[in-house]
Amino acid sequence: MSYKVTEEGNISTVHLDGEIDMDVTEKAKEIIMPLIEAKKEVHLNLKEVQYMDSSGISVLIESHQKATELGTKVILKEISKSVLKVIMMAKLEQILNLD
Amino acid sequence: MNVAIKSITEQRDFVVSSSSLKQVRSFSREVFEKVNIDQDLKDELVLAIAEAAQNIVKHAYQGEDTEDKMEIKISLEKGHLEIGFFDKGRPVEEKNVRHRKIDDIKPGGLGTFFIQQIMDAVVFKEGEKPWINHLVLTKNLNS
Repeated sequence: MSYKVTEEGNISTVHLDGEIDMDVTEKAKEIIMPLIEAKKEVHLNLKEVQYMDSSGISVLIESHQKATELGTKVILKEISKSVLKVIMMAKLEQILNLD
Repeated sequence: MNVAIKSITEQRDFVVSSSSLKQVRSFSREVFEKVNIDQDLKDELVLAIAEAAQNIVKHAYQGEDTEDKMEIKISLEKGHLEIGFFDKGRPVEEKNVRHRKIDDIKPGGLGTFFIQQIMDAVVFKEGEKPWINHLVLTKNLNS
Protein backbone atom coordinates (compact mmCIF):
# COMPACT_ATOMS: atom_id res chain seq x y z
CA MET A 1 0.00 0.00 0.00
CA SER A 2 1.19 3.49 -0.77
CA TYR A 3 -0.49 6.79 -0.04
CA LYS A 4 -0.49 10.52 -0.65
CA VAL A 5 -2.05 13.18 1.54
CA THR A 6 -3.23 16.53 0.21
CA GLU A 7 -4.61 19.39 2.28
CA GLU A 8 -7.14 22.02 1.33
CA GLY A 9 -8.45 24.18 4.15
CA ASN A 10 -9.81 21.88 6.83
CA ILE A 11 -10.06 18.93 4.44
CA SER A 12 -7.32 16.32 4.29
CA THR A 13 -7.55 13.91 1.38
CA VAL A 14 -5.77 10.60 1.73
CA HIS A 15 -5.24 8.83 -1.59
CA LEU A 16 -4.65 5.16 -0.85
CA ASP A 17 -3.15 2.88 -3.47
CA GLY A 18 -2.74 -0.89 -3.58
CA GLU A 19 -4.10 -3.70 -1.43
CA ILE A 20 -5.29 -3.11 2.12
CA ASP A 21 -5.07 -6.16 4.33
CA MET A 22 -4.09 -7.06 7.89
CA ASP A 23 -0.43 -6.46 7.07
CA VAL A 24 -0.92 -2.75 6.37
CA THR A 25 -3.80 -1.75 8.65
CA GLU A 26 -1.53 -0.31 11.33
CA LYS A 27 0.17 1.84 8.71
CA ALA A 28 -3.21 2.97 7.38
CA LYS A 29 -4.35 3.92 10.89
CA GLU A 30 -1.09 5.81 11.51
CA ILE A 31 -1.87 7.93 8.45
CA ILE A 32 -5.58 8.51 9.02
CA MET A 33 -6.06 8.75 12.79
CA PRO A 34 -3.83 11.80 13.46
CA LEU A 35 -5.79 13.73 10.82
CA ILE A 36 -9.06 12.85 12.54
CA GLU A 37 -7.60 13.70 15.94
CA ALA A 38 -6.62 17.09 14.49
CA LYS A 39 -10.37 17.41 13.72
CA LYS A 40 -9.81 17.55 9.98
CA GLU A 41 -12.56 16.40 7.66
CA VAL A 42 -10.91 13.38 6.10
CA HIS A 43 -11.61 12.27 2.55
CA LEU A 44 -10.36 8.77 1.78
CA ASN A 45 -9.89 8.38 -1.96
CA LEU A 46 -10.17 4.66 -2.69
CA LYS A 47 -9.99 4.79 -6.49
CA GLU A 48 -6.66 2.94 -6.63
CA VAL A 49 -7.40 0.37 -3.92
CA GLN A 50 -7.72 -2.93 -5.78
CA TYR A 51 -8.35 -5.12 -2.75
CA MET A 52 -9.62 -4.65 0.78
CA ASP A 53 -10.34 -7.35 3.34
CA SER A 54 -12.11 -7.32 6.72
CA SER A 55 -9.08 -5.68 8.35
CA GLY A 56 -9.33 -2.76 5.92
CA ILE A 57 -13.06 -2.51 6.59
CA SER A 58 -12.26 -2.34 10.30
CA VAL A 59 -10.03 0.68 9.63
CA LEU A 60 -12.92 2.37 7.82
CA ILE A 61 -15.30 1.66 10.74
CA GLU A 62 -12.77 2.77 13.35
CA SER A 63 -12.04 5.98 11.42
CA HIS A 64 -15.74 6.73 10.98
CA GLN A 65 -16.47 6.16 14.66
CA LYS A 66 -13.50 8.23 15.85
CA ALA A 67 -14.50 11.09 13.55
CA THR A 68 -18.10 11.00 14.78
CA GLU A 69 -16.86 11.03 18.38
CA LEU A 70 -14.73 14.12 17.67
CA GLY A 71 -17.42 15.94 15.72
CA THR A 72 -15.84 15.63 12.30
CA LYS A 73 -16.31 13.15 9.47
CA VAL A 74 -14.63 10.71 7.15
CA ILE A 75 -15.97 10.60 3.58
CA LEU A 76 -15.10 7.78 1.20
CA LYS A 77 -14.45 9.09 -2.31
CA GLU A 78 -14.16 7.41 -5.72
CA ILE A 79 -14.59 3.97 -4.20
CA SER A 80 -13.27 1.23 -6.48
CA LYS A 81 -15.69 -1.50 -7.53
CA SER A 82 -13.91 -4.18 -5.51
CA VAL A 83 -13.90 -2.09 -2.31
CA LEU A 84 -17.55 -1.11 -2.76
CA LYS A 85 -18.46 -4.76 -3.07
CA VAL A 86 -16.80 -5.55 0.28
CA ILE A 87 -18.43 -2.53 1.95
CA MET A 88 -21.80 -3.78 0.72
CA MET A 89 -21.07 -7.33 1.80
CA ALA A 90 -20.46 -5.91 5.29
CA LYS A 91 -23.75 -3.99 4.97
CA LEU A 92 -22.00 -0.71 5.74
CA GLU A 93 -23.17 1.37 2.78
CA GLN A 94 -25.77 3.11 4.95
CA ILE A 95 -23.38 3.56 7.89
CA LEU A 96 -20.21 4.95 6.33
CA ASN A 97 -20.21 8.23 4.40
CA LEU A 98 -19.95 7.21 0.75
CA ASP A 99 -19.59 9.82 -1.96
CA MET B 1 -22.21 -22.15 -14.77
CA ASN B 2 -19.75 -23.91 -17.05
CA VAL B 3 -16.59 -24.68 -15.12
CA ALA B 4 -14.15 -25.40 -17.96
CA ILE B 5 -11.53 -27.31 -15.98
CA LYS B 6 -13.12 -30.40 -14.49
CA SER B 7 -10.37 -31.32 -12.09
CA ILE B 8 -7.63 -29.36 -10.36
CA THR B 9 -5.68 -29.80 -7.14
CA GLU B 10 -3.01 -27.36 -6.03
CA GLN B 11 -1.47 -26.83 -2.65
CA ARG B 12 1.12 -24.50 -1.20
CA ASP B 13 2.73 -23.77 2.16
CA PHE B 14 2.99 -20.29 3.63
CA VAL B 15 4.72 -18.98 6.72
CA VAL B 16 2.05 -18.11 9.31
CA SER B 17 2.38 -14.34 9.15
CA SER B 18 0.32 -11.36 8.03
CA SER B 19 3.10 -10.69 5.51
CA SER B 20 2.17 -13.97 3.76
CA LEU B 21 -1.39 -12.88 2.98
CA LYS B 22 -0.34 -11.22 -0.28
CA GLN B 23 1.26 -14.51 -1.39
CA VAL B 24 -1.88 -16.39 -0.35
CA ARG B 25 -3.93 -14.13 -2.61
CA SER B 26 -1.45 -14.50 -5.50
CA PHE B 27 -1.57 -18.29 -5.20
CA SER B 28 -5.38 -18.29 -5.12
CA ARG B 29 -5.62 -15.96 -8.12
CA GLU B 30 -3.20 -18.18 -10.08
CA VAL B 31 -5.35 -21.22 -9.40
CA PHE B 32 -8.66 -19.53 -10.26
CA GLU B 33 -7.18 -18.14 -13.49
CA LYS B 34 -7.36 -21.74 -14.75
CA VAL B 35 -11.08 -21.99 -14.03
CA ASN B 36 -13.81 -20.57 -16.23
CA ILE B 37 -15.84 -18.68 -13.65
CA ASP B 38 -16.66 -15.00 -13.65
CA GLN B 39 -14.23 -12.48 -12.21
CA ASP B 40 -16.57 -11.40 -9.38
CA LEU B 41 -16.76 -14.96 -8.11
CA LYS B 42 -12.98 -15.35 -8.40
CA ASP B 43 -12.54 -12.18 -6.33
CA GLU B 44 -14.97 -13.46 -3.69
CA LEU B 45 -13.18 -16.82 -3.45
CA VAL B 46 -9.80 -15.08 -3.10
CA LEU B 47 -11.28 -12.95 -0.29
CA ALA B 48 -12.68 -16.03 1.50
CA ILE B 49 -9.31 -17.81 1.29
CA ALA B 50 -7.39 -14.74 2.48
CA GLU B 51 -9.82 -14.25 5.38
CA ALA B 52 -9.43 -17.88 6.46
CA ALA B 53 -5.62 -17.57 6.29
CA GLN B 54 -5.86 -14.34 8.27
CA ASN B 55 -7.89 -16.15 10.94
CA ILE B 56 -5.06 -18.68 11.31
CA VAL B 57 -2.58 -15.83 11.88
CA LYS B 58 -4.89 -13.93 14.24
CA HIS B 59 -6.59 -16.70 16.17
CA ALA B 60 -4.74 -20.03 15.90
CA TYR B 61 -1.41 -18.22 16.46
CA GLN B 62 -2.81 -15.07 18.09
CA GLY B 63 -0.47 -12.92 16.01
CA GLU B 64 2.69 -14.47 17.48
CA ASP B 65 5.87 -14.61 15.43
CA THR B 66 6.45 -18.17 14.29
CA GLU B 67 8.36 -20.11 11.67
CA ASP B 68 5.45 -22.57 11.39
CA LYS B 69 3.82 -22.96 8.05
CA MET B 70 0.19 -23.33 7.09
CA GLU B 71 -0.89 -25.31 4.07
CA ILE B 72 -3.65 -24.34 1.69
CA LYS B 73 -5.04 -26.91 -0.72
CA ILE B 74 -7.49 -25.94 -3.45
CA SER B 75 -9.32 -28.80 -5.17
CA LEU B 76 -11.95 -28.66 -7.86
CA GLU B 77 -13.71 -31.78 -9.05
CA LYS B 78 -16.70 -31.60 -11.39
CA GLY B 79 -17.54 -28.09 -10.24
CA HIS B 80 -17.28 -28.90 -6.54
CA LEU B 81 -14.69 -26.60 -4.97
CA GLU B 82 -13.02 -27.63 -1.72
CA ILE B 83 -10.41 -25.50 0.01
CA GLY B 84 -8.48 -27.00 2.90
CA PHE B 85 -6.46 -25.06 5.47
CA PHE B 86 -4.02 -26.90 7.73
CA ASP B 87 -2.17 -25.34 10.64
CA LYS B 88 -0.27 -26.28 13.80
CA GLY B 89 -1.56 -23.46 16.00
CA ARG B 90 -3.83 -23.62 19.02
CA PRO B 91 -6.78 -25.98 18.58
CA VAL B 92 -9.75 -24.04 17.27
CA GLU B 93 -13.12 -24.98 18.71
CA GLU B 94 -15.94 -24.48 16.26
CA LYS B 95 -18.28 -23.18 18.97
CA ASN B 96 -15.85 -20.29 19.58
CA VAL B 97 -15.75 -19.27 15.93
CA ARG B 98 -18.56 -16.89 15.22
CA HIS B 99 -18.88 -13.59 13.50
CA ARG B 100 -20.21 -10.56 15.32
CA LYS B 101 -23.81 -9.53 14.80
CA ILE B 102 -23.74 -7.68 11.52
CA ASP B 103 -25.83 -4.78 12.83
CA ASP B 104 -23.45 -4.33 15.79
CA ILE B 105 -21.16 -1.86 14.03
CA LYS B 106 -17.65 -2.15 15.39
CA PRO B 107 -14.22 -2.97 14.00
CA GLY B 108 -13.40 -6.69 13.80
CA GLY B 109 -15.35 -9.92 13.51
CA LEU B 110 -16.18 -9.56 9.83
CA GLY B 111 -13.76 -12.09 8.32
CA THR B 112 -15.79 -15.12 9.38
CA PHE B 113 -18.97 -13.39 8.20
CA PHE B 114 -17.44 -12.86 4.75
CA ILE B 115 -16.34 -16.50 4.55
CA GLN B 116 -19.84 -17.68 5.45
CA GLN B 117 -21.42 -15.30 2.94
CA ILE B 118 -19.20 -16.52 0.11
CA MET B 119 -18.92 -20.25 0.72
CA ASP B 120 -21.63 -22.93 0.90
CA ALA B 121 -20.14 -24.69 3.92
CA VAL B 122 -17.45 -24.12 6.55
CA VAL B 123 -16.35 -27.19 8.49
CA PHE B 124 -13.74 -27.42 11.24
CA LYS B 125 -11.99 -30.75 11.64
CA GLU B 126 -9.28 -32.01 13.91
CA GLY B 127 -6.10 -32.05 11.83
CA GLU B 128 -4.31 -35.31 11.17
CA LYS B 129 -0.70 -35.31 12.35
CA PRO B 130 1.31 -33.13 12.06
CA TRP B 131 -1.56 -30.68 11.76
CA ILE B 132 -3.67 -29.42 14.66
CA ASN B 133 -6.47 -27.69 12.78
CA HIS B 134 -8.07 -28.52 9.45
CA LEU B 135 -10.63 -26.10 8.09
CA VAL B 136 -12.62 -27.06 5.00
CA LEU B 137 -14.50 -24.53 2.87
CA THR B 138 -16.71 -25.82 0.09
CA LYS B 139 -18.75 -24.32 -2.72
CA ASN B 140 -20.62 -25.78 -5.64
CA LEU B 141 -19.54 -23.79 -8.70
CA ASN B 142 -22.13 -25.45 -10.94
CA SER B 143 -25.09 -23.73 -9.33
